[in-house]
Amino acid sequence: MSVQTPITMRPPVAPVPLRQDFLGGLFVTAVAVLAYWLAADLPAGTLGGMGPGMMPKALALLLGALGLTLLFGSLWHFGERIRRWSIRGPVFVFGAMIAFGLTVRPLGLVVAGPLAMMIGALASDEVRWGETIVSVALTSAFCVGLFKLALGLPIPLAPWLIGY
Amino acid sequence: MKKILAVLAAATALMAGPAPAQTYPTKQVTVIVPFAAGGPTDIVARIMADYFAKALGQQFVVENVAGAGGTTGTLRTAQSTPDGYTIMMGHMGTHGAAPALYPNLKYDPTKDFEPIGLAAGTPIIIVARKDFPAANLKEFIARAKNPDVRLSQAHAGVGSVSHSTCTMLSTQLGTKHRVVAYRGTGPALNDLVGGQVDYMCDQIVNLVEQIKAGAIKAYAIATPERSPALPDVPTTKEAGLPDYQVSAWNALFAPKGTPKEIVAKLNDTYKKALADAATRKRLLDLGSVLPDAGGQTPESLQKLVQTEVARWNPILKGQATQ
Amino acid sequence: MLDLIGHLGLGFSTAFSPTNLGLCFLGCLVGTLIGVLPGVGPIATIAMLLPLTFKVDPTGALIMLAGIYYGAQYGGSTTAILVNIPGEATAVVTTLDGHQMARKGQAGIALGIAAISSFIAGSIATLVVAAVGAPLTKLALLFGPAEYFGLMVLGLGLAVVLAQGSVLKAVIMVVFGLVLSTVGTDLETGDERLTLGFAALSDGIDFAVLAMGVFGIAEVLRNIENPEARGVVKGAIGRLLPSAADLRRSLGPILRGTGLGAALGILPGNGAVLAPFASYTLEKKLADEPSRFGLGAIEGVAGPEAANNAGAQTAFIPLLTLGIPPNAVMALMVGAMTIHGVIPGPLVMTRNAPLFWGMVASMWIGNLMLLIINLPLVGVWVRLLKVPYRLLYNIILLFCCIGIYSVNNNPADVFFTAVFGGVGYVLIKLGLEPAPMLLGFVLGRLMEEKLRQALALSDGSFMTFVERPLSAGLIVCALVVMLIAILPAVTRSREKVFQE
Repeated sequence: MSVQTPITMRPPVAPVPLRQDFLGGLFVTAVAVLAYWLAADLPAGTLGGMGPGMMPKALALLLGALGLTLLFGSLWHFGERIRRWSIRGPVFVFGAMIAFGLTVRPLGLVVAGPLAMMIGALASDEVRWGETIVSVALTSAFCVGLFKLALGLPIPLAPWLIGY
Repeated sequence: MKKILAVLAAATALMAGPAPAQTYPTKQVTVIVPFAAGGPTDIVARIMADYFAKALGQQFVVENVAGAGGTTGTLRTAQSTPDGYTIMMGHMGTHGAAPALYPNLKYDPTKDFEPIGLAAGTPIIIVARKDFPAANLKEFIARAKNPDVRLSQAHAGVGSVSHSTCTMLSTQLGTKHRVVAYRGTGPALNDLVGGQVDYMCDQIVNLVEQIKAGAIKAYAIATPERSPALPDVPTTKEAGLPDYQVSAWNALFAPKGTPKEIVAKLNDTYKKALADAATRKRLLDLGSVLPDAGGQTPESLQKLVQTEVARWNPILKGQATQ
Repeated sequence: MLDLIGHLGLGFSTAFSPTNLGLCFLGCLVGTLIGVLPGVGPIATIAMLLPLTFKVDPTGALIMLAGIYYGAQYGGSTTAILVNIPGEATAVVTTLDGHQMARKGQAGIALGIAAISSFIAGSIATLVVAAVGAPLTKLALLFGPAEYFGLMVLGLGLAVVLAQGSVLKAVIMVVFGLVLSTVGTDLETGDERLTLGFAALSDGIDFAVLAMGVFGIAEVLRNIENPEARGVVKGAIGRLLPSAADLRRSLGPILRGTGLGAALGILPGNGAVLAPFASYTLEKKLADEPSRFGLGAIEGVAGPEAANNAGAQTAFIPLLTLGIPPNAVMALMVGAMTIHGVIPGPLVMTRNAPLFWGMVASMWIGNLMLLIINLPLVGVWVRLLKVPYRLLYNIILLFCCIGIYSVNNNPADVFFTAVFGGVGYVLIKLGLEPAPMLLGFVLGRLMEEKLRQALALSDGSFMTFVERPLSAGLIVCALVVMLIAILPAVTRSREKVFQE
């Protein structure tokens, strides 16, 4: 039996680089810098006759200022610690979406649907393959029936087999 | 097992290559509309697709591929397999104004398509708010040229038909106005009816009911002949601006390399569609002008595309930067 | 008054024909079923189902389309409550408390109150359309670009108020949304702005792409990684329908929401988007314990849902009386009407009286049918949540992919949804709420347009916003709202709420 660690009333103060607001401020500031940099070449015009660059630049500056406020504020406010990240979920969920996007036009829904679901299934560590395969088959059949047969959406079905 | 083999054999046969023209079409045909569902081009495409499906016995499925002023869907058509199973409803913007508006355009309207036929032209009409102090086009022009008055012109966003045609009008008049950009015809028309802006130019189908009801007033229609939908509105020629001749046309195109026989068959069906009473009526109800027999050939459409590209280039170049 | 009765009589006699009744029912049913799919909002639903109406006569087709529209609108709320994915801008607010209620096992109550408030709001709004539609149109025309800009600024003030946590973070997210709204081709000059050269971004970021990413996909990711947070009905489901006490509590919010929605819906240029946000803010301010908001307050579902539906209804006014579509859905309705040979305009009302009044009457019938269809369906939807999440998320994911692809038939949209899913995931980890961002995004685009239109008309003079009384009034209201939000006392109490 291991001894339970005593629960302290106050959580330990997170070091600055792990504070939620510090990273949040950093992220927002980075977005602002990116936006400003992308808009840099667009003419801002004058306040009276605004050019295409006026709004993006002004908003990027405002966002940057707010981001820095959050960032510096976090040095005084202790705030929450950053939450735990995981790799598995995002990798397979995004993988599934990218696979769907890449295959839906050349190979059609009958390939893209099951493929995306099989990749997506890997995102959860609770995956059980038996039920997953049943659910993939049922959902794909349902989607083909609904979107293609019932609604006649112009989404390719199986171009390599039936031509559309 | 034998059955599976049979299916596979059938599949390979289908994949083997484009079907000969006699049997075309053997499967559904995709009609790409490079704009969102419900717009004027989409409506013309759906009316045509309806007839094609009945005449050729296969589904003609309209696929709306909107984006980048219609160039996304047009590019997709240009890049699709030229087997007659992907065609598109192009338009004055995608096959006329686009090269001037989008310097990085990845297709060439004059080279990357097999023209099928000009479906319909939608006349452009010059309209103003109902209390605008000008009784006719001559007075309007005089007011527009008066240096003490600054008119405001509404348009539906760079690249839209109303923007191109309004810019053409300003160029011809040589006047500078307050130009007010809206996102789409709806909001622009709203402010015109509300009297916030002075005038705009757009396709007749978007304005006809408001004109009839007196919510806005029409000065001239930019076609050689008056429109049966608005018989009281003079042509630009009658009203004193003969050079202002413009219409938003829609036309069917196939990607370059589509077999000649299939293009001929599609052109043939298209001609029958224009001769079909019901289809004709549906198009005319939109205020469209339909081409005569001479304007129904692929060659005349090719010529139209070439003249339009050449014509819009000087008017719109420099409107969009980069 | 007699006129009204006569008109409604004509309308009901048209709408009550067996065919039209059937079409109305069919439209509502199919609209609900498609609209409930995650990622498929009203615009996508109508675009998808438009061809179904081609076989019918114009009146019947429009009645069916209107049914599809309400059905999809309502179906979108169902998805917002059940899986936290708003199908369109107006459903964003429903996710805030509706999904929290679902997590607490009150999904049935939330869905039930949404259906009931939609019905009440729809009924009242139908009467508004029938009785005062035409005179109200004149009011809407008073709104020029300057007034509109004032309204948008007021909307941004509301965005800050409706946020849960710190004001600073809420303002940050609103501005983030504003920055995102500038992506795309500049309307005046045609310059590509912040598009990174992607053609798919040249028309701006699609709302569905953004909302699906930061809400839907990010929610899926969050639920996958911590099973205990996945409150999506573990354990008892509880009551299926709202109790009498729930209804009593919701009545005020429903009526106020209806008023707000009906008023804002008439405005051109999509004023209806503001309605649910305004209603939510109002209810939060009026509530005895504002701290319950965001944790599953029934008023936070009832008010905005009523506002949403009333706005959806009165948005027909500019379309039917002027022939001018106030938003993208209505623009699609114009297209649909045109395909059927009825070009909407100021004269439709007199020249096509049976069609016009039939459609108005069918609005009410449609709302009744939605109630009839949806109350029994509540049980079905809630049971759907019993599917183990490890299977459910994957199904949601596929529907999202198909839905997003179908909006523009463009795979690039699926990729961008994944990108915004990543952004949403990061935001969750950083404790930044996405709801104010979405409002900023929706309002930002309109705000810039209206600002530049107003300045173009005034030759660049900012005095136009002050000289015009309506716009001056709106901007003063906006300043007051923002001041209230930013006042330190308010800040302190809000922080307390956050820590609870």
